[in-house]
Amino acid sequence: MGSLLSAPVGRRAVLVGGAALVGAAGLSACSPGGGGSGSGGSKTLNVAYFGTQQQADKTAKVADAFIKANPGTSVKFNGINGTDWNDFFTKVLTQIAAGNPPDIVSVATEGVQLFAQKKLAHPLDDFVKRDKDQLAPYFKDVHPSLVEAMMYDGHLYELPTDFNAGNMYFNTSLLKKSGLELPKADWTMDDFKTVATAMKKASPDAVPFDWVVRLWGSWTSFMYANGGNLVTEGKYDGGDWLWSQFYAGDAAAQGRGGGWKWGAPTATSDAVVESLDLMIELANSGLSAKPDVGGGSTLQGLFSNNKIGMAIGGGFWAGGLHNAGMGPDTFDVQFFPKWKVQRHLFGTGGYGIFESSKNKDLAWEFLKSLVDPAAIGILTEGNSTTPSRRSMMTADRYAPTGPKNWKVFYDTLDKYPNTAPIAAPPYYNAMANALNQRTTEAMSSGSAKNALAGLQKDLETAAAAIGS
Amino acid sequence: MSASATRAELPGATRPGGPRPLNRNRNSNKAHRREAAFGWAMISLSALTILVFTAAPIVFTFVLAFFSWDIISPPEFVGFKNFAKLAGDTAVVHSFGVTAWLAILVVVLQIVIGLAMAILVQQRVSTWARSIFRTAFFLPLLVSAASISIVFSYLFDDHFGVINYYLGLLNLPQVPWLSSPAGATATIVIVAVWQQLGFVFILFTAALGSLPKDVLEAVSIDGSGPIRTFFAIKLPLISPTIFFASVIGLINAMQIFDQPYVMTKGGPGDATTTTVMLIYRTAFQNIQFGYGSAISVVLFVLLLAITGLQFYISRKWVFYS
Repeated sequence: MGSLLSAPVGRRAVLVGGAALVGAAGLSACSPGGGGSGSGGSKTLNVAYFGTQQQADKTAKVADAFIKANPGTSVKFNGINGTDWNDFFTKVLTQIAAGNPPDIVSVATEGVQLFAQKKLAHPLDDFVKRDKDQLAPYFKDVHPSLVEAMMYDGHLYELPTDFNAGNMYFNTSLLKKSGLELPKADWTMDDFKTVATAMKKASPDAVPFDWVVRLWGSWTSFMYANGGNLVTEGKYDGGDWLWSQFYAGDAAAQGRGGGWKWGAPTATSDAVVESLDLMIELANSGLSAKPDVGGGSTLQGLFSNNKIGMAIGGGFWAGGLHNAGMGPDTFDVQFFPKWKVQRHLFGTGGYGIFESSKNKDLAWEFLKSLVDPAAIGILTEGNSTTPSRRSMMTADRYAPTGPKNWKVFYDTLDKYPNTAPIAAPPYYNAMANALNQRTTEAMSSGSAKNALAGLQKDLETAAAAIGS
Repeated sequence: MSASATRAELPGATRPGGPRPLNRNRNSNKAHRREAAFGWAMISLSALTILVFTAAPIVFTFVLAFFSWDIISPPEFVGFKNFAKLAGDTAVVHSFGVTAWLAILVVVLQIVIGLAMAILVQQRVSTWARSIFRTAFFLPLLVSAASISIVFSYLFDDHFGVINYYLGLLNLPQVPWLSSPAGATATIVIVAVWQQLGFVFILFTAALGSLPKDVLEAVSIDGSGPIRTFFAIKLPLISPTIFFASVIGLINAMQIFDQPYVMTKGGPGDATTTTVMLIYRTAFQNIQFGYGSAISVVLFVLLLAITGLQFYISRKWVFYS
């Protein structure tokens, strides 16, 4: 048989063909986000949704009313799954790199500044000003801290649909077994240790307190309660157009600006070191587990199996524990304990419009429809998260899932003016990675100070790289 | 009939000398071309796939290593800046150290355990049972490393894992499998070795099964014991398989990602942050695709050098005849 490769195919032809392919691949990969929304000016809105496609399909019914009101339009929810927001952003950015950016993206606090700073997200200011009358009832119903968390450099990028503050959940079975009751709202860090110690004594097979390593609701909750943060807190100028229009006379809106300005890293400050030292102390004394990195679903499973006595959770834990098989009376929630201050952190979610979208007007109309109570009802179904609208926080909502003390969720915003969003500067991805790495280092080595010195350096490098 | 006449008249035979008739030559060339065209058509899809999904990204990675690119802004040419930065980046240097240590442990353990198991199965197990063992040992290789890592991370969980539970029942101390640098390294090695063992086991089973029986009989008649037979005869005879397993194993192990990514996220600290994890983190999470590509290029060159070195050293210990 003759040699297959002896056929007269010129080397030049092969090289030219190969180069063309490589060039094509390169060019396609180099295509910037401005390459088009993929909808090509049609009346289809592509929504990047954080979750499985199954969840995305379920959520897609939130668009039914919008589609009915806008004949000829369609909304396509694309589920992008990930272990956490960091993972989600990575995948969305990869989609953008592939030249297929969506029109709308679901973004929580973690990514608002990242998307805004990279000019991926379109400011909503003009839309909001134009439709102020239509939006007035919405803003009246939403705490200003949630709105401010969606601002960057004076501009508003999202209308919050939901939020979760870091409260403390209790397994009431383990609590009762310890002879204790749900602590009072003004409980302290000493009370927390007392409860944990009693739980350990009464239930040696369980861990009194467990947590995961991440930015939201991790040891960072202790850090907030200790008056510390990973970066300097500040506010951008601007935003008066919004506060004076929608929150005039509202005491909770006093001192609000154009969004949180996360400044120089402060990971080595005394308050931060002391907070991480406390976590090491809790782990070494058996009052807490050494944490895993990532999402909290494993924690919910262990909590529902009476393996964990206390854990940090937001409103979304109610739905999670219910789905894990817990009855409404088998768990409850309280504010986070007071240390130096009783301060909580929160994260809020919503939908933003991509700058590259060719359907911005239509996307805005859809965004408005998403903050309608009926739409928020769908988005927060089963208490998978907490509605941003205060009026939706009712006893009926929490009757099937619990907890009894559900008022804590919105009261965290209403009764504690110092409640603040998690620090999520534009270099959030690098920050989250560094936090994960340095926290596990501290827990493993037993030295918070050294690990946080490393974190400080990591954050400085990340901040310098992005020019902020 | 003479022999020469017979040969010349055989269909398809070549003429032993002198020019062939012109039309016959043309026909032959035409058939040859047709055959070659058919061959090209057959491999074109595979070739195109490799070109687009393997060769092009490799070339693109090499090019990108000289750029700064965050996906969103246009790439900016920075020359050798990424490589200069890389040389002084302790995280990168550390990741290479972690990767090399993991790779050595994984490859050595895979070969030693795989060979030992192959010998045991070859000598102690009946022929019908061997196929069961082969299938059983090979099964983990068919499951995704990510799925296996998730299962093992539950098994090795410090507080709620089954392993520590049984250690507790035996009054043995609890091991911080995933929360200490040594424990996390050991766990990753155990999982990686467990999953890849089937491949090495199959290789050694085949190599041991194909050893020349006459040589083994001669050795046996000469009175050589099993240990001496193994080290003096069998081991040299299967040295090409050991070499193959070490080359493939090292290339795979140097690119280890799934196990540390799922089980430890590179921690505690950066104790299990491998180079490929760092590349992923740099490029896809910190959105520094140029720098990530530069680390990839260095890893590629390093792997090439290590493989070349393995081939060079193999001349001294691998016996092909």
